[in-house]
Amino acid sequence: MTEAARSLLVRRIEQLDRHTLGIEWTDGHRSRWRLAHLRRHCPCAACVDEWSGRPLIKPQDVPEDLTAARVESVGRYAASIQFSDGHATGIYSFPLLRKLCQCAECAQGSPAPAGRSA
Amino acid sequence: MALTEATILDRLRPIEDPDLHRSIVDLGFVRDIRIDGGRIRFDLVLTTPACPVKEDLRGACVRAVELLPGVEGVEVNLRAETRGAEMGDRKALASVKNLVAVASGKGGVGKSTTAVNLAAALAREGAAVGVLDADIYGPSVPTMIRVETPPQPMDDQTIRPAQGHGLRFISMAFFMPKERAAILRGPMVSGYVAQFLGRVDWGALDYLVIDYPPGTGDIQLTLSQQAPITGAVVCTTPQEISLVDVRRAVAMFETTRVPVLGVCETMSYFVCDQCGKKHFIFRSGGGRRMAERLGVPFLGEVPLDPLVTEGGDQGRPIVIEAPESPAGRAYREIAGAVAAQLSILNVERGHYLESFSLQWKT
Repeated sequence: MTEAARSLLVRRIEQLDRHTLGIEWTDGHRSRWRLAHLRRHCPCAACVDEWSGRPLIKPQDVPEDLTAARVESVGRYAASIQFSDGHATGIYSFPLLRKLCQCAECAQGSPAPAGRSA
Repeated sequence: MALTEATILDRLRPIEDPDLHRSIVDLGFVRDIRIDGGRIRFDLVLTTPACPVKEDLRGACVRAVELLPGVEGVEVNLRAETRGAEMGDRKALASVKNLVAVASGKGGVGKSTTAVNLAAALAREGAAVGVLDADIYGPSVPTMIRVETPPQPMDDQTIRPAQGHGLRFISMAFFMPKERAAILRGPMVSGYVAQFLGRVDWGALDYLVIDYPPGTGDIQLTLSQQAPITGAVVCTTPQEISLVDVRRAVAMFETTRVPVLGVCETMSYFVCDQCGKKHFIFRSGGGRRMAERLGVPFLGEVPLDPLVTEGGDQGRPIVIEAPESPAGRAYREIAGAVAAQLSILNVERGHYLESFSLQWKT
Protein backbone atom coordinates (compact mmCIF):
# COMPACT_ATOMS: atom_id res chain seq x y z
CA MET A 1 0.00 0.00 0.00
CA THR A 2 1.39 3.42 -0.87
CA GLU A 3 1.56 6.15 1.75
CA ALA A 4 -1.19 8.07 -0.07
CA ALA A 5 -3.54 5.09 -0.26
CA ARG A 6 -2.89 4.32 3.38
CA SER A 7 -3.98 7.77 4.45
CA LEU A 8 -6.99 8.00 2.13
CA LEU A 9 -9.96 8.97 4.29
CA VAL A 10 -13.43 10.44 3.90
CA ARG A 11 -13.78 14.22 4.16
CA ARG A 12 -17.50 14.39 3.29
CA ILE A 13 -20.24 11.88 2.55
CA GLU A 14 -23.58 12.79 1.02
CA GLN A 15 -26.58 11.56 -0.89
CA LEU A 16 -26.38 13.15 -4.38
CA ASP A 17 -29.80 11.97 -5.54
CA ARG A 18 -32.23 9.16 -4.84
CA HIS A 19 -29.89 6.55 -6.33
CA THR A 20 -26.43 8.09 -6.01
CA LEU A 21 -23.90 8.22 -3.18
CA GLY A 22 -21.10 10.78 -3.13
CA ILE A 23 -17.87 10.93 -1.12
CA GLU A 24 -15.22 13.62 -1.10
CA TRP A 25 -11.85 12.08 -0.13
CA THR A 26 -9.02 13.69 1.81
CA ASP A 27 -6.96 13.90 -1.41
CA GLY A 28 -9.68 16.10 -2.93
CA HIS A 29 -11.11 13.52 -5.36
CA ARG A 30 -14.92 13.48 -5.52
CA SER A 31 -16.33 10.00 -6.08
CA ARG A 32 -19.90 9.10 -7.02
CA TRP A 33 -21.58 5.73 -7.37
CA ARG A 34 -24.98 4.55 -8.42
CA LEU A 35 -26.18 2.32 -5.54
CA ALA A 36 -27.04 -0.49 -8.00
CA HIS A 37 -23.40 -0.47 -9.16
CA LEU A 38 -22.16 -0.84 -5.56
CA ARG A 39 -24.69 -3.60 -4.87
CA ARG A 40 -23.49 -5.52 -7.95
CA HIS A 41 -19.92 -5.31 -6.66
CA CYS A 42 -20.73 -6.27 -3.08
CA PRO A 43 -17.62 -8.03 -1.69
CA CYS A 44 -19.41 -10.09 1.00
CA ALA A 45 -19.20 -13.88 1.26
CA ALA A 46 -22.78 -14.28 -0.01
CA CYS A 47 -22.03 -12.31 -3.17
CA VAL A 48 -18.50 -13.51 -3.98
CA ASP A 49 -17.30 -17.13 -3.79
CA GLU A 50 -14.80 -17.19 -0.89
CA TRP A 51 -12.47 -19.62 -2.63
CA SER A 52 -12.59 -18.75 -6.31
CA GLY A 53 -13.45 -15.04 -6.04
CA ARG A 54 -16.18 -15.64 -8.67
CA PRO A 55 -19.16 -13.27 -8.33
CA LEU A 56 -22.32 -15.07 -7.20
CA ILE A 57 -24.64 -12.20 -8.00
CA LYS A 58 -26.04 -11.63 -11.50
CA PRO A 59 -25.99 -7.96 -12.58
CA GLN A 60 -29.53 -8.25 -13.98
CA ASP A 61 -30.83 -9.35 -10.55
CA VAL A 62 -30.11 -5.88 -9.17
CA PRO A 63 -32.74 -3.28 -10.16
CA GLU A 64 -31.21 -0.11 -11.57
CA ASP A 65 -33.36 2.04 -9.26
CA LEU A 66 -32.08 0.43 -6.04
CA THR A 67 -31.91 2.80 -3.05
CA ALA A 68 -30.57 2.50 0.49
CA ALA A 69 -31.61 2.94 4.11
CA ARG A 70 -28.29 3.92 5.66
CA VAL A 71 -24.56 4.20 4.96
CA GLU A 72 -22.24 3.82 7.96
CA SER A 73 -18.53 3.79 8.67
CA VAL A 74 -16.83 0.52 9.64
CA GLY A 75 -13.84 1.19 11.90
CA ARG A 76 -11.74 3.72 10.08
CA TYR A 77 -11.18 1.82 6.87
CA ALA A 78 -14.52 1.02 5.23
CA ALA A 79 -18.23 1.73 4.78
CA SER A 80 -21.22 -0.56 5.04
CA ILE A 81 -24.39 0.06 3.07
CA GLN A 82 -27.84 -1.06 4.05
CA PHE A 83 -29.55 -1.41 0.66
CA SER A 84 -33.30 -1.11 0.14
CA ASP A 85 -33.39 -4.81 -0.86
CA GLY A 86 -32.34 -5.65 2.69
CA HIS A 87 -28.77 -6.68 1.85
CA ALA A 88 -26.27 -5.17 4.30
CA THR A 89 -23.35 -7.57 4.76
CA GLY A 90 -20.83 -5.98 2.40
CA ILE A 91 -17.88 -4.10 3.88
CA TYR A 92 -16.63 -1.68 1.24
CA SER A 93 -13.05 -0.76 2.07
CA PHE A 94 -12.02 2.75 1.00
CA PRO A 95 -9.60 1.43 -1.65
CA LEU A 96 -12.40 -0.76 -3.08
CA LEU A 97 -14.78 2.21 -3.22
CA ARG A 98 -12.12 4.21 -4.99
CA LYS A 99 -11.68 1.41 -7.53
CA LEU A 100 -15.44 1.31 -8.19
CA CYS A 101 -15.72 5.11 -8.57
CA GLN A 102 -18.12 6.22 -11.33
CA CYS A 103 -17.27 9.92 -11.54
CA ALA A 104 -16.88 11.27 -15.09
CA GLU A 105 -13.09 11.04 -14.89
CA CYS A 106 -12.91 7.49 -13.50
CA ALA A 107 -15.74 6.21 -15.71
CA GLN A 108 -13.66 7.09 -18.79
CA GLY A 109 -11.42 4.21 -17.84
CA SER A 110 -8.66 6.06 -16.06
CA PRO A 111 -9.51 5.62 -12.41
CA ALA A 112 -7.86 8.39 -10.42
CA PRO A 113 -5.06 6.81 -8.44
CA ALA A 114 -5.54 7.49 -4.76
CA GLY A 115 -3.58 10.46 -3.52
CA ARG A 116 -2.83 11.87 -6.95
CA SER A 117 -4.17 15.34 -6.27
CA ALA A 118 -3.12 15.40 -2.63
CA MET B 1 8.43 49.38 24.58
CA ALA B 2 5.49 48.57 26.82
CA LEU B 3 4.83 44.97 27.75
CA THR B 4 1.78 43.77 25.87
CA GLU B 5 0.28 40.42 25.07
CA ALA B 6 1.44 40.86 21.46
CA THR B 7 5.08 41.44 22.37
CA ILE B 8 5.04 38.39 24.62
CA LEU B 9 3.47 36.21 21.92
CA ASP B 10 6.08 37.46 19.44
CA ARG B 11 8.83 36.30 21.79
CA LEU B 12 7.19 32.89 22.20
CA ARG B 13 6.34 32.32 18.54
CA PRO B 14 9.75 30.87 17.51
CA ILE B 15 9.40 28.07 20.10
CA GLU B 16 8.22 24.89 18.41
CA ASP B 17 6.64 21.78 19.82
CA PRO B 18 9.36 19.19 19.09
CA ASP B 19 6.86 16.56 17.93
CA LEU B 20 4.40 18.69 16.02
CA HIS B 21 7.10 20.94 14.49
CA ARG B 22 4.88 23.96 14.80
CA SER B 23 4.99 27.14 16.86
CA ILE B 24 3.46 26.77 20.30
CA VAL B 25 1.69 30.11 19.71
CA ASP B 26 0.14 28.96 16.41
CA LEU B 27 -0.92 25.70 18.06
CA GLY B 28 -2.84 27.72 20.65
CA PHE B 29 -0.81 26.37 23.57
CA VAL B 30 -0.24 29.83 25.12
CA ARG B 31 -3.30 31.07 26.97
CA ASP B 32 -4.46 33.53 29.54
CA ILE B 33 -1.52 35.95 29.58
CA ARG B 34 -1.56 38.18 32.65
CA ILE B 35 0.73 41.20 32.92
CA ASP B 36 1.14 42.64 36.37
CA GLY B 37 3.74 45.41 36.15
CA GLY B 38 6.93 43.50 35.34
CA ARG B 39 5.52 40.13 36.35
CA ILE B 40 4.25 37.92 33.54
CA ARG B 41 2.11 34.84 34.03
CA PHE B 42 0.54 32.60 31.42
CA ASP B 43 -0.72 29.07 30.88
CA LEU B 44 1.02 26.63 28.58
CA VAL B 45 -1.64 24.13 27.53
CA LEU B 46 -0.06 20.96 26.11
CA THR B 47 -1.85 18.21 24.21
CA THR B 48 -1.05 15.52 26.78
CA PRO B 49 -0.13 15.46 30.45
CA ALA B 50 2.41 12.79 29.48
CA CYS B 51 4.38 15.18 27.27
CA PRO B 52 8.00 14.04 27.62
CA VAL B 53 9.47 17.49 27.03
CA LYS B 54 7.11 19.64 29.09
CA GLU B 55 9.86 20.95 31.38
CA ASP B 56 12.06 21.81 28.38
CA LEU B 57 9.19 23.79 26.87
CA ARG B 58 8.54 25.59 30.11
CA GLY B 59 12.23 26.52 30.35
CA ALA B 60 12.30 27.77 26.76
CA CYS B 61 9.23 29.95 27.41
CA VAL B 62 10.69 31.45 30.58
CA ARG B 63 14.03 32.21 28.88
CA ALA B 64 12.33 33.82 25.87
CA VAL B 65 10.10 36.14 27.88
CA GLU B 66 12.70 36.99 30.55
CA LEU B 67 14.78 38.77 27.93
CA LEU B 68 12.09 41.38 27.22
CA PRO B 69 12.94 44.76 28.75
CA GLY B 70 10.94 45.51 31.87
CA VAL B 71 10.25 41.88 32.78
CA GLU B 72 10.98 41.07 36.40
CA GLY B 73 9.56 37.60 36.67
CA VAL B 74 7.94 34.90 34.51
CA GLU B 75 5.62 32.21 35.74
CA VAL B 76 4.47 29.47 33.35
CA ASN B 77 1.59 27.33 34.48
CA LEU B 78 1.65 23.92 32.72
CA ARG B 79 -1.72 22.41 31.87
CA ALA B 80 -2.85 19.70 29.48
CA GLU B 81 -5.92 19.20 27.37
CA THR B 82 -5.77 15.84 25.70
CA ARG B 83 -7.11 16.16 22.18
CA GLY B 84 -9.11 13.33 20.76
CA ALA B 85 -11.83 12.23 18.42
CA GLU B 86 -15.54 12.48 18.82
CA MET B 87 -16.69 8.89 19.09
CA GLY B 88 -20.11 9.92 17.80
CA ASP B 89 -23.14 7.87 18.67
CA ARG B 90 -21.31 5.10 20.52
CA LYS B 91 -22.59 6.15 23.89
CA ALA B 92 -20.23 4.25 26.14
CA LEU B 93 -17.15 5.44 24.29
CA ALA B 94 -18.48 8.97 23.81
CA SER B 95 -16.19 10.51 26.39
CA VAL B 96 -13.07 8.48 25.57
CA LYS B 97 -10.60 10.66 23.70
CA ASN B 98 -8.07 8.11 22.49
CA LEU B 99 -8.37 4.35 21.94
CA VAL B 100 -4.92 2.78 21.99
CA ALA B 101 -4.48 -0.83 20.88
CA VAL B 102 -1.57 -2.83 22.33
CA ALA B 103 -1.03 -5.85 20.13
CA SER B 104 1.49 -8.45 19.11
CA GLY B 105 1.69 -11.00 16.34
CA LYS B 106 2.07 -13.85 18.83
CA GLY B 107 1.77 -14.57 22.54
CA GLY B 108 4.37 -14.43 25.28
CA VAL B 109 6.06 -11.19 24.34
CA GLY B 110 4.87 -9.25 27.40
CA LYS B 111 2.01 -7.50 25.68
CA SER B 112 -0.32 -7.37 28.70
CA THR B 113 2.56 -6.19 30.91
CA THR B 114 3.24 -3.46 28.39
CA ALA B 115 -0.45 -2.47 28.19
CA VAL B 116 -0.76 -2.21 31.98
CA ASN B 117 2.50 -0.31 32.45
CA LEU B 118 1.74 2.01 29.54
CA ALA B 119 -1.63 2.80 31.15
CA ALA B 120 -0.06 3.26 34.59
CA ALA B 121 2.65 5.54 33.18
CA LEU B 122 0.06 7.74 31.42
CA ALA B 123 -2.04 7.89 34.60
CA ARG B 124 1.07 8.78 36.63
CA GLU B 125 1.40 11.92 34.49
CA GLY B 126 -2.13 12.95 35.39
CA ALA B 127 -4.20 11.49 32.53
CA ALA B 128 -7.49 9.64 33.08
CA VAL B 129 -6.80 6.12 31.80
CA GLY B 130 -8.74 2.89 31.36
CA VAL B 131 -7.64 -0.61 30.37
CA LEU B 132 -9.86 -2.93 28.36
CA ASP B 133 -8.58 -6.51 28.56
CA ALA B 134 -9.76 -7.92 25.23
CA ASP B 135 -7.87 -11.17 25.72
CA ILE B 136 -11.01 -13.20 26.34
CA TYR B 137 -9.27 -16.59 26.43
CA GLY B 138 -6.32 -15.52 28.57
CA PRO B 139 -7.36 -12.48 30.64
CA SER B 140 -4.54 -11.29 32.87
CA VAL B 141 -5.11 -7.61 33.55
CA PRO B 142 -6.84 -8.05 36.96
CA THR B 143 -3.80 -10.04 38.15
CA MET B 144 -1.46 -7.28 37.09
CA ILE B 145 -3.44 -4.38 38.59
CA ARG B 146 -4.59 -4.78 42.18
CA VAL B 147 -8.39 -4.63 42.21
CA GLU B 148 -9.46 -2.00 44.75
CA THR B 149 -13.08 -1.80 43.59
CA PRO B 150 -14.56 -4.65 41.53
CA PRO B 151 -16.80 -3.87 38.55
CA GLN B 152 -20.37 -2.99 39.47
CA PRO B 153 -23.54 -3.33 37.42
CA MET B 154 -25.33 0.02 37.10
CA ASP B 155 -28.51 -1.23 35.41
CA ASP B 156 -29.37 -3.94 32.89
CA GLN B 157 -27.44 -2.13 30.20
CA THR B 158 -24.24 -0.84 31.71
CA ILE B 159 -21.47 -1.82 34.05
CA ARG B 160 -19.00 0.36 35.93
CA PRO B 161 -15.38 -0.74 35.42
CA ALA B 162 -13.14 -2.02 38.21
CA GLN B 163 -10.66 0.39 39.79
CA GLY B 164 -7.14 0.04 41.11
CA HIS B 165 -3.95 2.14 41.12
CA GLY B 166 -5.99 5.03 39.71
CA LEU B 167 -6.89 3.02 36.60
CA ARG B 168 -10.32 1.90 35.43
CA PHE B 169 -10.36 -1.56 33.88
CA ILE B 170 -12.53 -4.41 32.69
CA SER B 171 -11.64 -8.00 31.91
CA MET B 172 -13.20 -11.35 31.12
CA ALA B 173 -11.53 -12.59 34.32
CA PHE B 174 -14.27 -10.84 36.33
CA PHE B 175 -16.97 -12.93 34.66
CA MET B 176 -15.35 -16.33 34.90
CA PRO B 177 -14.73 -18.59 37.91
CA LYS B 178 -11.03 -18.76 38.84
CA GLU B 179 -9.05 -21.71 37.48
CA ARG B 180 -11.65 -22.20 34.76
CA ALA B 181 -10.97 -21.62 31.09
CA ALA B 182 -13.19 -19.65 28.76
CA ILE B 183 -14.20 -22.24 26.18
CA LEU B 184 -16.15 -20.23 23.68
CA ARG B 185 -16.90 -20.18 19.98
CA GLY B 186 -15.71 -17.24 17.92
CA PRO B 187 -19.03 -15.39 17.63
CA MET B 188 -19.53 -15.49 21.42
CA VAL B 189 -16.06 -14.07 22.00
CA SER B 190 -16.78 -11.23 19.58
CA GLY B 191 -20.02 -10.70 21.50
CA TYR B 192 -18.14 -10.22 24.77
CA VAL B 193 -15.73 -7.78 23.18
CA ALA B 194 -18.64 -5.80 21.72
CA GLN B 195 -20.20 -5.64 25.20
CA PHE B 196 -16.95 -4.36 26.70
CA LEU B 197 -16.92 -1.62 24.09
CA GLY B 198 -20.59 -0.74 24.25
CA ARG B 199 -21.77 -1.45 27.76
CA VAL B 200 -18.98 -0.31 30.05
CA ASP B 201 -19.45 3.16 31.47
CA TRP B 202 -15.88 4.39 31.25
CA GLY B 203 -16.66 8.00 32.04
CA ALA B 204 -14.31 10.68 30.74
CA LEU B 205 -11.00 9.12 29.71
CA ASP B 206 -7.96 10.61 28.02
CA TYR B 207 -6.77 7.14 27.01
CA LEU B 208 -8.39 3.74 26.84
CA VAL B 209 -5.64 1.15 26.42
CA ILE B 210 -6.92 -2.04 24.80
CA ASP B 211 -4.92 -5.18 25.53
CA TYR B 212 -5.43 -7.19 22.34
CA PRO B 213 -5.35 -10.98 22.32
CA PRO B 214 -2.19 -12.26 20.60
CA GLY B 215 -2.29 -12.88 16.86
CA THR B 216 -4.43 -11.59 14.03
CA GLY B 217 -7.84 -13.21 14.30
CA ASP B 218 -11.52 -12.67 14.83
CA ILE B 219 -11.42 -10.54 17.99
CA GLN B 220 -8.79 -8.22 16.58
CA LEU B 221 -10.98 -7.65 13.53
CA THR B 222 -14.08 -7.08 15.66
CA LEU B 223 -12.22 -4.47 17.70
CA SER B 224 -11.04 -2.62 14.61
CA GLN B 225 -14.56 -2.63 13.16
CA GLN B 226 -16.56 -1.72 16.24
CA ALA B 227 -14.32 0.98 17.65
CA PRO B 228 -12.47 3.76 15.90
CA ILE B 229 -9.06 2.77 17.27
CA THR B 230 -6.88 5.89 17.35
CA GLY B 231 -3.58 4.06 17.06
CA ALA B 232 -1.77 0.81 17.79
CA VAL B 233 1.39 -0.16 19.63
CA VAL B 234 2.95 -3.43 18.43
CA CYS B 235 5.08 -5.37 20.94
CA THR B 236 7.83 -7.80 20.12
CA THR B 237 10.88 -9.53 21.54
CA PRO B 238 14.19 -9.04 19.70
CA GLN B 239 14.50 -12.41 17.92
CA GLU B 240 14.17 -12.55 14.15
CA ILE B 241 11.37 -15.14 14.45
CA SER B 242 9.11 -12.84 16.48
CA LEU B 243 9.77 -10.04 14.03
CA VAL B 244 7.95 -12.02 11.35
CA ASP B 245 4.88 -11.77 13.59
CA VAL B 246 5.37 -8.03 14.00
CA ARG B 247 5.10 -7.67 10.26
CA ARG B 248 1.83 -9.61 10.37
CA ALA B 249 0.38 -7.43 13.13
CA VAL B 250 1.39 -4.24 11.34
CA ALA B 251 -0.20 -5.54 8.12
CA MET B 252 -3.44 -6.25 10.00
CA PHE B 253 -3.62 -2.67 11.27
CA GLU B 254 -2.81 -1.34 7.82
CA THR B 255 -5.71 -3.31 6.34
CA THR B 256 -8.11 -1.82 8.86
CA ARG B 257 -6.49 1.64 8.63
CA VAL B 258 -5.46 1.84 12.24
CA PRO B 259 -2.34 4.03 12.38
CA VAL B 260 0.60 2.14 13.91
CA LEU B 261 2.05 4.41 16.59
CA GLY B 262 5.20 2.32 16.75
CA VAL B 263 6.99 -0.86 17.78
CA CYS B 264 8.16 -1.50 21.32
CA GLU B 265 10.63 -4.21 22.24
CA THR B 266 10.42 -6.18 25.48
CA MET B 267 12.98 -8.53 27.06
CA SER B 268 15.63 -6.55 25.21
CA TYR B 269 18.52 -7.23 27.59
CA PHE B 270 19.35 -8.36 31.11
CA VAL B 271 21.39 -6.20 33.44
CA CYS B 272 23.66 -8.38 35.58
CA ASP B 273 23.26 -7.49 39.25
CA GLN B 274 26.92 -8.41 39.87
CA CYS B 275 28.75 -6.56 37.12
CA GLY B 276 26.04 -4.19 35.80
CA LYS B 277 26.75 -5.28 32.24
CA LYS B 278 23.89 -5.43 29.71
CA HIS B 279 23.50 -8.98 28.40
CA PHE B 280 21.59 -9.17 25.14
CA ILE B 281 20.11 -12.63 25.61
CA PHE B 282 18.06 -12.69 22.42
CA ARG B 283 20.21 -10.63 19.99
CA SER B 284 20.05 -6.88 20.02
CA GLY B 285 18.36 -4.16 18.00
CA GLY B 286 15.81 -6.42 16.25
CA GLY B 287 12.78 -4.30 17.14
CA ARG B 288 14.49 -1.12 16.03
CA ARG B 289 15.56 -2.65 12.72
CA MET B 290 12.04 -3.97 12.10
CA ALA B 291 10.47 -0.57 12.88
CA GLU B 292 12.87 1.04 10.41
CA ARG B 293 12.08 -1.52 7.75
CA LEU B 294 8.33 -1.05 8.21
CA GLY B 295 8.61 2.73 8.36
CA VAL B 296 7.01 3.09 11.81
CA PRO B 297 8.49 4.76 14.91
CA PHE B 298 10.54 2.70 17.37
CA LEU B 299 9.08 3.48 20.78
CA GLY B 300 11.72 1.96 23.05
CA GLU B 301 13.14 -1.19 24.61
CA VAL B 302 12.35 -2.67 28.00
CA PRO B 303 15.00 -4.75 29.77
CA LEU B 304 14.33 -8.19 31.21
CA ASP B 305 13.88 -7.49 34.91
CA PRO B 306 12.63 -9.89 37.60
CA LEU B 307 10.94 -6.87 39.23
CA VAL B 308 8.63 -6.54 36.23
CA THR B 309 7.34 -10.10 36.60
CA GLU B 310 7.18 -9.87 40.39
CA GLY B 311 5.23 -6.60 40.29
CA GLY B 312 2.93 -8.04 37.63
CA ASP B 313 2.17 -11.15 39.68
CA GLN B 314 1.39 -9.08 42.75
CA GLY B 315 -0.82 -6.54 41.00
CA ARG B 316 1.70 -3.71 41.21
CA PRO B 317 2.86 -2.39 37.83
CA ILE B 318 6.59 -1.62 37.90
CA VAL B 319 5.92 1.92 36.70
CA ILE B 320 4.23 2.52 40.07
CA GLU B 321 6.34 0.15 42.20
CA ALA B 322 9.78 1.18 40.95
CA PRO B 323 9.42 4.09 38.52
CA GLU B 324 13.17 4.77 38.55
CA SER B 325 14.25 1.18 37.83
CA PRO B 326 15.59 0.60 34.29
CA ALA B 327 12.35 -1.17 33.26
CA GLY B 328 10.13 1.42 34.97
CA ARG B 329 12.02 4.19 33.22
CA ALA B 330 11.76 2.37 29.87
CA TYR B 331 7.98 2.01 30.14
CA ARG B 332 7.63 5.68 31.06
CA GLU B 333 9.68 6.67 28.04
CA ILE B 334 7.51 4.48 25.82
CA ALA B 335 4.37 6.09 27.29
CA GLY B 336 5.80 9.53 26.51
CA ALA B 337 6.52 8.47 22.92
CA VAL B 338 3.01 7.03 22.54
CA ALA B 339 1.41 10.21 23.89
CA ALA B 340 3.53 12.27 21.50
CA GLN B 341 2.55 10.13 18.49
CA LEU B 342 -1.13 10.43 19.45
CA SER B 343 -0.84 14.20 19.72
CA ILE B 344 0.62 14.30 16.21
CA LEU B 345 -2.33 12.25 14.89
CA ASN B 346 -4.87 14.38 16.72
CA VAL B 347 -3.57 17.62 15.24
CA GLU B 348 -4.16 16.07 11.79
CA ARG B 349 -7.73 15.31 12.76
CA GLY B 350 -10.61 17.51 11.75
CA HIS B 351 -9.58 17.15 8.12
CA TYR B 352 -11.54 13.92 7.82
CA LEU B 353 -14.56 12.14 9.28
CA GLU B 354 -13.68 9.79 12.12
CA SER B 355 -16.98 7.99 11.68
CA PHE B 356 -20.18 8.61 9.74
CA SER B 357 -23.79 7.48 9.56
CA LEU B 358 -25.81 8.72 6.59
CA GLN B 359 -29.59 8.27 6.71
CA TRP B 360 -30.83 7.77 3.13
CA LYS B 361 -33.77 9.92 2.05
CA THR B 362 -36.15 8.28 -0.40
